[in-house]
Parts: sequence; structure tokens; C-alpha cells
Amino acid sequence: MRIGIDVGGTHTDAVLLDGDDVVSSVKSLTTADVSSGILEALESILSDAGAQESSIEAVMLGTTQFTNAVIERKQLSEVAAIRIGLPSGDGLPPKIGWPQGISECLGDHVYMIRGGTLYDGRPLVALDQGEVDRVIADIKRKGVKSVAISAAFSPMTPEPELVVAEQLRSAIPGINITCSHRIGRLGLLERENAAILNASLLQFADRVVDSFGTALKTRGLTCRFFVSQNDGTLMDAEFVRRFPALTFASGPTNSLRGACKLTGLDNAIVVDIGGTTSDIGILQDGFPRESNIVIEVGGVRTNFRMPDILALGLGGGSLVSDEGRVIGPESVGHKLVTEGLAFGGTTLTATDILVAAGRANIGAGQHRVDLPPETISNGLQTIQSILNLGIEKMMPSSDPLPVVLVGGGAILVSEKLASASAMHCPPHSGVANAIGAAIAQIGGEVERLVSYQQLPREDTIRQMSEEARRAAIAAGADEATVRIADIEETTISYMSEGSTRVRIKAVGDILRRERGG
Amino acid sequence: MAKLGSESLSDLVTGAVFLATGGGGDPHVAELIARQALDKYGPVELIDPNDVADDAFVVALGGVGAPTVSLELLPSMNEAANTLRAFEDRFGRKVDAVVSFEVGGGNSLIPIVAAAAMGIPVVNGDGMGRALPEAQMMTYPISGVSPTPALATDYLGNITEFHTTDIMQFEREIRRCALTSGGMVTSAEHPMSGRQLRDSIVPRTISFSIELGRVLRKYRGNAHRIFEPLQSLFRSSIYGDIFHLYTGKVVDSATRIVGGYDIGEATITPFDGVGEALKISIKNEYLLARISDRTVASVPDLITILDYETSTPINAERLRYGQRVSVFAIGCPAFYRTQKALEFVSPRCFGFPIDYQPVEVLSAQTTSPRG
Repeated sequence: MRIGIDVGGTHTDAVLLDGDDVVSSVKSLTTADVSSGILEALESILSDAGAQESSIEAVMLGTTQFTNAVIERKQLSEVAAIRIGLPSGDGLPPKIGWPQGISECLGDHVYMIRGGTLYDGRPLVALDQGEVDRVIADIKRKGVKSVAISAAFSPMTPEPELVVAEQLRSAIPGINITCSHRIGRLGLLERENAAILNASLLQFADRVVDSFGTALKTRGLTCRFFVSQNDGTLMDAEFVRRFPALTFASGPTNSLRGACKLTGLDNAIVVDIGGTTSDIGILQDGFPRESNIVIEVGGVRTNFRMPDILALGLGGGSLVSDEGRVIGPESVGHKLVTEGLAFGGTTLTATDILVAAGRANIGAGQHRVDLPPETISNGLQTIQSILNLGIEKMMPSSDPLPVVLVGGGAILVSEKLASASAMHCPPHSGVANAIGAAIAQIGGEVERLVSYQQLPREDTIRQMSEEARRAAIAAGADEATVRIADIEETTISYMSEGSTRVRIKAVGDILRRERGG
Repeated sequence: MAKLGSESLSDLVTGAVFLATGGGGDPHVAELIARQALDKYGPVELIDPNDVADDAFVVALGGVGAPTVSLELLPSMNEAANTLRAFEDRFGRKVDAVVSFEVGGGNSLIPIVAAAAMGIPVVNGDGMGRALPEAQMMTYPISGVSPTPALATDYLGNITEFHTTDIMQFEREIRRCALTSGGMVTSAEHPMSGRQLRDSIVPRTISFSIELGRVLRKYRGNAHRIFEPLQSLFRSSIYGDIFHLYTGKVVDSATRIVGGYDIGEATITPFDGVGEALKISIKNEYLLARISDRTVASVPDLITILDYETSTPINAERLRYGQRVSVFAIGCPAFYRTQKALEFVSPRCFGFPIDYQPVEVLSAQTTSPRG
């Protein structure tokens, strides 16, 4: 059996899966220390199911803690950003174009040194050892504990980044380092941004992984645990300590994957309604449709691939005004359970419209909600039209798709949406994220600049596919289930011999261990 | 005289990616540099071609090489101005104004950066009205302007001079120079008088690009909704009409060899999978659009691909499997439909065995699916 846990800003959800079946699930509040909330959720699902700790094969964690850390600028460490690439890029230092707040939060430790490589692997200029020594001495003097290293064309030729990282490690034992070639593809600025954000989260990642590990151990769970990442695949605990930024979009991904699992629909529109927003995403062949535009996290450009999500200001806690004709975007958020009319509070929220209409049973029915009939009918209509407009914006074609409602605020929709071909609100939809985490797969990726003149395309793809498969298996995938999920080729125009950038990703189910293993 | 400041940059860039017809590279880095330059030196003078003195000395400035390279081998703040200074030093003549090779992508911004640093005007117009891959395809040489004396600088500041007057030879030489200098050089070339400039330039494309970017921003949304505003914008421009060719999703992208070039191809099918696919041939730019074996638009007319949901123009290196897109074609400026221009930019120049037919003629023969 597997456990999926989703730690959100408000709720910590957990599910226990036996094969494909949901054995038990729970929705509890996220606690300030996070781990006691997780412990509580674990206790609840295990005792509900009467399950033995030894029967749990793996625990999968989905978490928005790292995304929130960047957005709220909390828990971030100061980062020394070293770019190896001068004389190219002079005047375009690391962190250029960042919002001032987050840039300052990471400290003023930017270094540009000579070195890096060209597209064909030749040195851009030689690395200057004197410069490297001076940078390392300065970082040591300042006592900065986290470092991001980037270099021109490092996805093709990582050596300059590796050389500097190695010297840093021997000069400053225990220093945290993110090399950009490990976290992104071509596009130096975006890859460097991602590396810097990642480096700023490394110390926090250690705390998160430690506290999660402790929570599991406290509950007697000795199995491996994983954390889900942007593309719906998993990382093991040691990997998360090094690459926390890869979780940035795991929330919406898990919700979409969970909706797919709960309904068996591979192509659908998923509406995840929370306390403040409704997030609309598209399931395409069982996986989230990716966004076409450059993704910003906390205002910083990155080259992460993320699901295409339209966020609408409509949730269970959205404020209602103008006799129901206006709902949101302001919301009481998680204070709904104290401030909403249905909970004995004094604020008219979207949830109260449904309660007054007799279409939802909320707040244990202790508090009657009486509203004028016009406000109720206006309110219901406003909810419908906000969602219909959003869905129409996201629809891949004019042919309606089934709509899957998930999330705690799904009760807002009590009748069929005009934009949907059918409506699905499956059982356990409130914990779709945790289910998405529980069914996440293991992936492996390789990317390289190749010449099909040197090695024919077919052989290149075969060779790199095998490398991707091996990377997935090394990351913990079950060899028997590994398949190639994505092949991306980019021709670098004007290059002699037609250089092509190839990226291949393999994914597979998590390797199931012997019971108690 | 109009001023161009950093507040117009993001609209200019969006418009330039649209007009780049898939090429020109990601302009983000060029935009960062231009923003710094304009913030540091103040707005530049955007001079109308008609206001350039007959005897003024104008030089075309831009990057030559593989656009993808500059995503890694980043340009430097002073590269554009240094290239222009080197040109003045070597050839002993002060440059009065700079002009762009092409309004597409990053090359629309490089002259602005140099102009800001040097305190000279940038001419409102360019040598293509779009983006095209090679030097002989610019209006300047086609109109008889010699490409040289010219020089190129690489990332190390190395300078290479060019003195051939043959445009095809110049293209080969500077291409080889770019390849051996890390894949990208900055070139100052096609020195010309104000009179020559006026006779050869595609006029007012910089201000048009800003206006186009503004329309794309203002009507941001589904590609069907943006069509009418675009239609009226192009109708009152030096370009021809805009046509909606197709809406669908990208299902394949592959490369093949045509006439000695590596040519990419993207296949787009309707959302519901029912109906004939649209195939786009790519060599840096989107050059040819076909449904079955019927050509629906070809170079030198502009073929542009927009993200269906947001109407954001997508350049070729960002075109990916699964993307929902709308494809539009726009009649090119009249200059490119003349016989002497078509000698350099017709489909045959790119290895396609067809003659050029204007998009409005092709469109009249075709009914576009899912309008």
C-alpha cells in the first residue's frame, strides 16, 4: 500500500491507496510546524484502515512549502551567484530583471568570472584560477552558505561548473551548491535564475526533509519516501535536498493527475476550487497540458515546465456583494470556518449562497443561512458564469469536454456547467492532490547537443533513450514499466553539420519493494 | 521627432516577435540590454527615413549567427556600440544614424542599444519588414547598396573586416566568421547615404512594431478574438492583408534536408483530429505553409504562429509538441513582390520547387478550416 500526503498552505491531506483503491483519506489543517499536522493525518488514515505500518511500501509527499517560501520570501537563505562566462554577458549580471524584494532577500553576492564554453565545446576563454580563488575567498569571508554556479553552454559542457564547485567544496566544507546544468536546459539566464532560487531553498529543504523523515519514523514507518515534482514524477528524499525548486508546480500537477486517477478520464477539464481561487487546468492524455509561456516564480523568470493553469478569484471563502452579482476575488480564505455565515460568522461568502439554497450541508447545519431569494439566484448564476468563462478560455476546442471538480470548494458547483459535456465530482475529490502525489511516477531525463552527421538520428535517439531509461531506473523506477515519455529536438540553425539539441525523458512506476522493505 | 524610450520596449518586442515569423531568436536578452541602455542614456531619437539628410552616413547594425547561441553566449552591454565605434575608427567616417537589418526578434533592438550609447538617431524602418535568414535577402543589397566596407566583432572583441562587394560572397564570409567565433557576431555593414537609405528601406516598421505589440497586449486573449483588431491594423500598413490559415495543435516537428539546407517541419492538426493537417516548413523562419500538398502561404509573405489561448507570438525554437496554436499569414511589403526582390526571396531560393504566389491569391483558392 502507498500513502500520498499533500501539504498545502491551509490543509494537509493524506490518502492510503491499496493498488488503485482509496482505502482511507483525511483532510486536516496544516500546522505551524508542518510535521505534527502530517503525523495527525498519518495517524488518522492508518487507524481508519487498520493498516499495519509494515504494509506501507512508500510515502509520497506533495508540498507547496518551497513555492510559498519563494512567493512569501520566507525561509530563503542568502546565495552567492557565480557565473562563468565573461567576457560574454558583461553588463548582464546574475539576478538581472528580478523584483528588488527577492533579489535583496538573497543578499548582494554576485560574481562574474571568465570561462565557460562555446556551442561546440571549445573554451569561451580559459578559466582564470586567480579569479576563482578570489571569489572563493570572498564567499568564505562573508560566510554565505549557499552557492549557485552557472556557465555558458553548461548543459552541453558542464566541466567549468564542476571544476569551480569542486574547489568551493574543498575550500568551504559543507557548503550547499547548485550547478545550473543540473536544473535546466539551454537559456543561460533562466537556468541560472532557477539555480539561484534552488540554492536559496537548500537549507530549508534539509529542514523539510528531516522533519518529514522524523514524522514518518515517529509513526513507525520505515519505508522510503518521495516528493512529487512539476511534471508529475517523483524525487527521492536525497534528491529533494538538492533540488527543492523542482517542486514549484507540483500542487496543480498533483491535482490534475489525481483527477485523472479518480475518474479514469484522460482528457478533461479539471477545476480545483479552494478557499480563495479556482484553478482550471487541462488533462491531455492523462497528463497536465503544459504552459507555452515563460514561467515566473515569485516574479523571477525560470525555464521550468509547468502546467497551464488559469487561476480565477472564486473560492469557497469568496466575498459576495451587490446582491450576489459580484463574487470574489476577495476572500476570507481559511477563516471561512469562523467568519462565514454558515459557521456562525458575519461575512457573506460564496459557500453561504449554496447553504442558503439548500444545496450544501456545511458547518454541521448549526447555523441557518437566510438570504433573499434574489441574492441566492444571482449568486448561483454568478458562480456559473465565472466558471463557464474561465473554462471557455481554457478549452482546447469548441467541443465541450467533461469537467472534473476537485478541491474543498467543489460544493460551489451544484448543477451542470453549460461549458461542460458532463460533470464529475468523484468521491475523494477533496483530496485529489494527495492521490496525485501517491500515483506519481519516477522520471529520468537526458539533454545534449548532437550531430546527426556523426551519429545518425535513429542511433542517437536510441542511445539517449537508453540513457534516459537508466536515469529513471537509477532514480527508483521499476525497470519493467519504464517508457519514453517525451522526445524533443531543436535544430541550432546556421550551425555547420546541423547540430541538434535533443532532450529525452523516460518515466516509469515507482519500484515496489518487498513488504516491510 | 519621435523619441523611443524604455516604456515602449515590451510592445516593440512583442510586435517584433510577431513580425519575425518564427525567427530572430528569443528577444528577452536583447530587451534586457536595451532597457539598461535606454535607462542609462535616455530615450533615443527615432528618425523617419524622410527626415534623414541626403548626405547623412547610415550603417546597418545587427547580430549574425544562430539565434539559439545568444541564449548562452550572452551579448555584452557595450558590444553594439563597440562594433559601431570600430567601424568609425577603421573606415574613418562618423556614423550619423543606425538602422536595423530586420524588425524581427533581437535584431530590432541592437541598433537602438548602439544609438543610445552613441547619442545618434535610429532610423524608423528596417531592411526586411520581417526576419529572413541571410544577408542577400535584405532590401539594402537588393536595391544596390554595397554590403561593404563592413566589419564584425565577436564576444572577445576581435574584429574582422569585409571588403567584397558581392553580396553572396559577403554572406558566405560573414557566416563563416560567425561560425568560427562562437556562433554569433555583431556586424556593421551596408554603409549608405541618406538618399540610398530612403530608396531601399522598409519604412516605419519600428513604430509599426510598437503599435502591433500594443494591439496584441490590449486584445490579449483567444486568437479568434484578436483577428479583427489585427485585420484593421494591417489594412492601414505597408503590409498586405492578414489571413487566418489554421487553428489546431502541434503534433510533430522534424528536420529534413532540402536543397542542401536543414529544414524543419511542424505539423499542426485540428483540435478534434478530424481534417487535413497544416504543415509549416521552417528554416529559422516559418517559410511555407501547406495543407495536403496545396501551398496556402509562402515566403516572402509572413507566416506567424500565435499561442491560441493568449495570442502570444511563438518563435520557432519555442514551438513544441502539444501546443495549441493559430496560424496567420500576412501579405509582405510590396517591395518583396517585385521581380528583382523575388530573385532572392522566392520559395525557390529556399529549395522549395514552387513559384511565389501572393497569399491573397492562394487564400481565394482555399477555404480555411474552422474560421
